[in-house]
Amino acid sequence: MTMLLIVLLPFLAIGPVWFAARFSRNASFYVAATTTGLGLGLLASLVPEVMAGNVFVDSWPWIERIGLNIAFRMDGLAMLFCILILGIGLMVVIYAKFYLTEDDPIGPFYAMLMTFMGAMLGVVTSENLLLLAMFWELTSISSFLLIGYWRHLPAARQGARLALMITGSGGLFLLAGVLLLQEITGSLELSVVLASGPQILDHDLYWAALICVLMGAFTKSAQFPFHFWLPNAMTAPTPVSAYLHSATMVKAGVFLLARLHPAMSGSPEWFFLVTGAGLTTLAFAAYVALFKHDLKGLLAYSTISHLGIITACLGMSTKWATIAAVFHIMNHAAFKASLFMSAGIVDHECGTRDARLLSGLRHSMPITFGLATLGALAMGGAPFFNGFLSKEMFFKEAYTLSQAHPYWPDAEYWAWIFPVVATVGGLFSVAYSVRFIHDVFFGPEAHDLPKHPHDPPFGMWLPVAILVAVCVVVGVVPMYTAESFLYATASPVTGYDMPEALHLHWWHGLVPELYMTLVAIAAGIGVYTQWKKIAAIGDKLPTIVGKDFFESFIEMLIEGARALDRLVDNQSLQRYMAYTISFATLAGFMAYIEEGWQSGTGVQTPASLVSLVPVILLIAGAFMTDFFQRKRLVSLIFMSVVGLIVSLMFIYFSAPDLGLTQISVEVVTVLLLLLALFVLPQWNPVESGWLRRSRDILVAASAGIGVGALAWGVMTRQQQTIADYYLAESLPKGGGTNVVNVILVDFRGFDTMGEVSVLALASVGIIVMLTGKKPLYPNQVMPFPEERFPLMLTSVTRVLVPTALLVAFYIFMRGHNLPGGGFIAGLVAVVALAMQFVASGLDWTKGRFKLDLVRLSAIGVLLAVGTGLAAFVWGRPFLTSGMLHLHPPGIGEVHIASAMAFDTGVFLVVVGSLVLIIRRLSRYQQTMEVQDKAGGNE
Amino acid sequence: MISFELLVSVTIAVLVAMGVYLVLRARTFPVVLGLSLISYAVNLFLFSMGRLEVGSPPILQDGVEVYTDPLPQALVLTAIVIGFGMTAFSIILAVKAYVELGSDHVDGEEP
Amino acid sequence: MLEWANIIAIVMMTLSLLMNMWRMAAGPRTLDRVVALDTMYINAIALIILFEIYLDSVLYFEAALLIAMMGFVGTVALSKYFLRGDIIE
Repeated sequence: MTMLLIVLLPFLAIGPVWFAARFSRNASFYVAATTTGLGLGLLASLVPEVMAGNVFVDSWPWIERIGLNIAFRMDGLAMLFCILILGIGLMVVIYAKFYLTEDDPIGPFYAMLMTFMGAMLGVVTSENLLLLAMFWELTSISSFLLIGYWRHLPAARQGARLALMITGSGGLFLLAGVLLLQEITGSLELSVVLASGPQILDHDLYWAALICVLMGAFTKSAQFPFHFWLPNAMTAPTPVSAYLHSATMVKAGVFLLARLHPAMSGSPEWFFLVTGAGLTTLAFAAYVALFKHDLKGLLAYSTISHLGIITACLGMSTKWATIAAVFHIMNHAAFKASLFMSAGIVDHECGTRDARLLSGLRHSMPITFGLATLGALAMGGAPFFNGFLSKEMFFKEAYTLSQAHPYWPDAEYWAWIFPVVATVGGLFSVAYSVRFIHDVFFGPEAHDLPKHPHDPPFGMWLPVAILVAVCVVVGVVPMYTAESFLYATASPVTGYDMPEALHLHWWHGLVPELYMTLVAIAAGIGVYTQWKKIAAIGDKLPTIVGKDFFESFIEMLIEGARALDRLVDNQSLQRYMAYTISFATLAGFMAYIEEGWQSGTGVQTPASLVSLVPVILLIAGAFMTDFFQRKRLVSLIFMSVVGLIVSLMFIYFSAPDLGLTQISVEVVTVLLLLLALFVLPQWNPVESGWLRRSRDILVAASAGIGVGALAWGVMTRQQQTIADYYLAESLPKGGGTNVVNVILVDFRGFDTMGEVSVLALASVGIIVMLTGKKPLYPNQVMPFPEERFPLMLTSVTRVLVPTALLVAFYIFMRGHNLPGGGFIAGLVAVVALAMQFVASGLDWTKGRFKLDLVRLSAIGVLLAVGTGLAAFVWGRPFLTSGMLHLHPPGIGEVHIASAMAFDTGVFLVVVGSLVLIIRRLSRYQQTMEVQDKAGGNE
Repeated sequence: MISFELLVSVTIAVLVAMGVYLVLRARTFPVVLGLSLISYAVNLFLFSMGRLEVGSPPILQDGVEVYTDPLPQALVLTAIVIGFGMTAFSIILAVKAYVELGSDHVDGEEP
Repeated sequence: MLEWANIIAIVMMTLSLLMNMWRMAAGPRTLDRVVALDTMYINAIALIILFEIYLDSVLYFEAALLIAMMGFVGTVALSKYFLRGDIIE
């Protein structure tokens, strides 16, 4: 429980810290400091137990299915890191309060800092590897936010983005590595993973898991070649640099290596990769650090170099090397944080961080001078400082390795590389440490600095002092202060395989590592004395900027993506359609190929020769529709033929209702298309090349064949139908003998209600669309100057339209028992009215047919719904129908089903919507009244 | 032996092929015609799911035993009407697009 | 006897449909095609009635009626289109 609280506390503080900033900066600071202090207190309660060697594991289940539990582990290593995070965190919180100016919003700053603190605590205390990966990503994100804190600086934004990209991708690799470990060991819990070391090493996936985990660790800890994000992250405010990029976040990578050390080390791969990377980084970064003029840049590369030391130690995997690694983690955190803060003080007080401009500050800033010097001595590895102790251990192990190499027998020839590289690294490290102090504090006093340098307020140098004090104390009397602590913290990393006693002395006798140290110090000082010459050469040497490589890599990726995009997606609808249809057809054919397509064994009805003819007609008609597609009118005429034949087919195959509906819909469609065609161009231009046309023909043919085969396959198979129910119940329950109609308005009335609403909505949509800009007559400027309403037509229509309406009524009435019904009747009525429009014009007809059509369709829908609701009155479910038996005089017995009301609703909707559409479209076309000589027959 | 099933399948295949070809054209009007053809084909397809019988409409009469399956017919009736609604909508869209954009190319502008 | 007459009539109607189709495909002017379409509608009416006589059923007469009406309206619309261009004024 305590562990959960430790991790949770900073997260809980995010809100209060931000909110408190409204009142005053100090309020926010107090909340942040208190939270950190509380965390430290909680941790302190656990420390004695952990020092004694106990390991705490708390676990709550979360998402069982993927093996994710909220589980925390507190052992020596976790304890060390928690102390670092919370302790240095407290120092940074205090420091930040004085560092940030009035302009910097402090609430968000502390909030992001708390987020990071909580996430980092989560990383180090996680028992569940997936949870660790989650917290890992959270640290990347909070680091991104903190680096970009000064949003207005472009360099800050770029640095933040770069950091996020590198550490984020590393996080992905880590996730992959974690999952691979789960695959190998069967569990995500550290207790299991750490105990399965040999099993992991033997497994086939070891390589892959190792690479993934190492990618995660190296990106986070800025090892070569992923180091270049760290110098660019120096655009962050100094408290952030001191906390994240020296003491905690970059240590997460080496933490991971240390944590998984018992599980994954001990193999040649581990040795070569990790030690190799570590040593390379050590030397390379130390070299570069020497030439950096920006103080924070120098410190950044120095951090990278020291992380290289730790990594190399963890790579070497001997007991003492591992202990050295853990020791150096502690020491480095202490002195590096203090040095960053000192650099920040210099920057804050002098207004610049450029080492070329600064000099002679020891007079104006004595306290800073003293503290910075102590820190730099620790960094360079001077005796009596903590840095010296861990560096000595590192040198010793490097030397030992050159004598006894466990992984390859006869490598005497080049195993000397290890101590040599280590010494070279140490050399440069001394050089840049000396430079840091000498360039800034010694020499003549600088007079042209932006600000007047003086010592900072108490709160700013106090944290530095505390950290430096730790460095000195541990350096001078390690046996009393650090021994047992180191023992406890290094145990988990070595797998509890520690040497009997851990004696930290600063004098071991005249041993090789002492010589290495002396050589490093001497040579380092020597290098520095030649500094002027070296600097001149260094300026002339070309700089390899890792960031530029990365940027150009990203550019290449983006260009490639754009090219692919242009190839595939060029905004052409035809291409989309072709792709969509081809893939659908392909998917269908895949099904045929996999399952095998065979025709069924059902009985087929033989066809007479006569019935061949309509099919031939239809094929011819469809083909002509395509053939003449350039002349739109002709194409339309052929489509009429197709519609007619389809209707005939429906009638032939015993579906009279369908045949009636089809032919009516066909003609109304033709009407609408003719109305539209008047506005649109009459011809299609010649556009597609033969290549495109062949592609289209291919796509069309394959689609057709696919669907045809499907239809054939279904039709030749046995059928199981549920129709018997409907056929049996149509008369007793539905009250009609036309089963199709009864299904439509009674059994499946709900669907019809929806359909009717769709029609009404479509018509409303169309009305709305046909407002606003009106068309100009396109290809013909005005209608042809023929007679507007030919006399023959008008006379015939006078007789025809009422008759047609009567027929419509008749079909409506008989719909329930014989082919007919609301839809067909409605369509017939629409066609009749359209006839009237064609024959006598809109105005004439409107004068005589004064009905608000929108209301009409609305009433229709309401009627349909109302019929359904009426069933509630009798306590029945929606749309239950009843029957009325009437005996009107003279007619005899009449059975009327309530579905009649429903059908009326349908009729009204069809009439209302379709006439509305036709009328509106006709109106839309009329822009100018044509006064023609022949005059209209009004 | 030529059977009705074969004829109807061929019909559906031809209609789909012609319809798809039109849909792939570059102007809006042929696309609408193509969609119409495809919807005819689909209606035929759905209807033929009820298996083809000649001369036995689903109108209950005395003395008739065999009826065609009425359920696909009812569904296709709905489909025909709604298909018409969509055709009307799309042709009005084409008209409006032409008036607003000045071109009746499917991409809205002349290539 | 009726049966034979029926079958011969159906065959002749079918032939006339084919000839209509030919006119539609070949007609040099669009109006020829429209006339062919109209004749096709009429042939269709005849075909339905003959078919009904063959099946001895009474249910399809309205289909013929409707095709007649629809055919007429379709032809009228097309003709008006040729005449004026704007069908509904």
